[in-house]
Amino acid sequence: MHRRVLRYLAILIVTGFCATTAQALRPKDGRDTITEGHRIYDRACVWCHGTEGKGDGPSGWSIGRYAAPRPRDFTAESYKLRSTPSGELPTDQDLFRTITQGIPGFMPSYRSLNEQERWQVIAYLKSLNPAFEQEQPTPMVLPSPPLFPSGNGITNGRALYAKYECRTCHGDNGAGDGPESKAGHLRDAYNLPITATDLTDPSSFKNGATPHDLYRSIMTGLDGTPMPAYADQFAGQEEAAWDLVWYLQSLSGQPGR
Amino acid sequence: MGRHRVPVRRNRVAIEREKDTDLRTHSIGATIVQTVAGLFVVISGTYDMSVQTAEAIPAFARKYALNCTTCHTAPPQLNTFGERFLENGYQLPGTEDGGITGKKNLGDLSLDDFAHYTGVRLRGNVLRAHNFKQQNPPGAESGTVQNKSELGFPEVFSLFTAGTLSKDMGFFAEMESNLEEGATGIERAFITFNNVGGENIANIRIGKLDPSAVFSFSTLRQQLEFIGESTNSSTDAVQRAGLFPLATAAKFYGLRDRSGTVISPYAPSLYNAVAETGVEVRGRPFGDWFMYQVGVLNGSNEGFGDSNKGKDFYGAIRLDYARSANFSASLSGFAYLGNSNATVFDGTRNVDANWNRYGAAAHLRYKMLDLHGMYTLDRITHAPTAALSNFDTTASGVTVALDAYVTNRTLLSLRYDNMDAGGDLTQRTSQTFAGMQIKHYLRSNVALYARHDLNLRRAEEGNAAARNLRHAVFVGIDISY
Ligand code: HEC
Ligand code: HEC
Repeated sequence: MHRRVLRYLAILIVTGFCATTAQALRPKDGRDTITEGHRIYDRACVWCHGTEGKGDGPSGWSIGRYAAPRPRDFTAESYKLRSTPSGELPTDQDLFRTITQGIPGFMPSYRSLNEQERWQVIAYLKSLNPAFEQEQPTPMVLPSPPLFPSGNGITNGRALYAKYECRTCHGDNGAGDGPESKAGHLRDAYNLPITATDLTDPSSFKNGATPHDLYRSIMTGLDGTPMPAYADQFAGQEEAAWDLVWYLQSLSGQPGR
Repeated sequence: MGRHRVPVRRNRVAIEREKDTDLRTHSIGATIVQTVAGLFVVISGTYDMSVQTAEAIPAFARKYALNCTTCHTAPPQLNTFGERFLENGYQLPGTEDGGITGKKNLGDLSLDDFAHYTGVRLRGNVLRAHNFKQQNPPGAESGTVQNKSELGFPEVFSLFTAGTLSKDMGFFAEMESNLEEGATGIERAFITFNNVGGENIANIRIGKLDPSAVFSFSTLRQQLEFIGESTNSSTDAVQRAGLFPLATAAKFYGLRDRSGTVISPYAPSLYNAVAETGVEVRGRPFGDWFMYQVGVLNGSNEGFGDSNKGKDFYGAIRLDYARSANFSASLSGFAYLGNSNATVFDGTRNVDANWNRYGAAAHLRYKMLDLHGMYTLDRITHAPTAALSNFDTTASGVTVALDAYVTNRTLLSLRYDNMDAGGDLTQRTSQTFAGMQIKHYLRSNVALYARHDLNLRRAEEGNAAARNLRHAVFVGIDISY
């Protein structure tokens, strides 16, 4: 009896301790955090995202030149890399992931800022867009992949790839060379030419390349680009969506299902 | 990744080895020009269609998984982010990521990791055609001053390795092989200690370094490559003008280094040298708007060790503005004070002189436009008046360059160069050149270019042949990986 109480106490203390350290890493939202975030932003992010966060920093144009992407405009524009439905703001977790991982080709990973600094800069980014105060972005449910996927997942996936006309942009073999992309018809929200992702090269994926990442990209779309969200099409058809994921993975030679 | 260099000959009078070929007559030359140009059009056409978005990326780009355009307006020219990355000792601006990104224990390094620290650049003119007012005037080495076309690719191969050893400690080394001259060597090599005493208070470089690296006008980052001058091997007379930013040049005729070798008026030198050995400190202690830089060097053309009586010193300040939409600007000024860093021949022997330089530069970038220019003024002091009786002790130079992306893959560059030469009054010839170049990127790291340089002064006949050159055409390839 005595022993058991002690054990409970120990667990309580340990979890309590963990909670407080987690708290310390993630500073409370508020003026001080934003001010500190602003300071970090001015040294690290301002070059591309601009003094006012409009994506027009002194080096912002040079990155894509006459083509996409421009650095994100934090004051208005939609976000590409989200776990939330199309048209919604990203969650804090989404922003944290983007800043930590970077965006291959266009934005470096900021692992070099410690976690607290990353949260501070996120608080500052959010302060640039009042919508963050009004809305409470909630992530879509990302189900786990089925334990026992159907034996012909890749074949099904291939059929869905054809059915939903992914090929018109991403090409028959996923190399990003579909007719719409090749003809230069695709434009982003700035009306800049944009090409469809080469799905055979996972190292270039902005939204990550794990099965969960791919599932998320398909469901949420990349707002501000021609990449649609397919959440409606796949509503209630989780397994089919996973089949498409297995197919995408097979395109890049990743272990499929 | 932008380190560009200059042919190894920079500090010595260049001796051009001329090959005896049969490609010498103008008409054959013209045919070759047309053929090669035609070929380039065909190549660039085909590639444009077949190459989609494949972006290959050298050293830092590989390390951070970024495209070249993150740091460069057009390699080797940096954008504002790239400049701050360089200043921070190859760490992301606002961070000290030297201890994090790509760091592994030596035993864990694989060949792939090595690629995160190295890059190569191969470039050269496939075709060069100089056009002179008078061919091979008396006194000129035969074949040097002649209207002819030469096939030359590749001219320069550079291998560089750079990165961070740990937090706030970086390194840079560059080997260059100049195939035209058959010379290979360490072009630059230094280590950096960053954020000493606090963020951006003091950044230290030690080694064989390029003083103008962080100036508004950097010697090594010009779009129109250095085209070396040609000098008579026995008389030291310049036979053919060099085509490169004349503001960076030595500008004096008959000035000698401490070993008595004549310094070419076309050698980039002093503050604007490709590299000199020394120590430098710079920082932005009051914020991004202001930078200081001070350095001490062995002196011009003093490599390892020092035969000098004293050291050379330089100091520079730079003002920056980077807070408007898609725009940044900087203004800088420097003073370089030489200390017995050159000699002048007084009729019987070489006597010591101090060779100083003062300069001012500006750099503006707005969207597709990159405009930069520099004025330099050189002075020779402290030499006996007897030695200077036939010697102009003042020289100046101006270079203004504009680079503009006319399409996403095509870079247009224009440059104006003027040198009011000093030195030996019987030899000196001032120069004014206009250069134009179209560079087309087949991929982000493979470019073809065609270039035309035009003498804006009236070309003269005779053996003062620096001004004998009327114009020149170059067609070349630039690859970095
Ligand atoms: C070298 C330029 C550069 C720097 C420096 C930079 N970014 Fe970015 N950032 C970009 C570009 C370009 C994009 C847009 C990429 C795209 O749309 O594909 C972007 C996008 C973003 C996004 C939006 C992703 C989405 O979901 O749409 C966030 C958030 C972001 N950056 C945060 C930061 C923060 C915080 C910093 C500083 C710590 C920073 N960035 C520094 C270039 C940069
Ligand atoms: C109308 C054209 C279009 C269609 C149709 C389309 N995509 Fe895309 N897709 C794009 C574009 C453009 C991008 C790149 C966005 C960017 O780089 O910012 C993209 C990006 C992606 C990405 C990569 C996201 C990342 O992390 O970088 C995936 C995965 C993807 N699409 C899968 C699909 C699948 C699966 C389908 C069909 C169900 C599909 N796409 C249909 C245009 C399209």
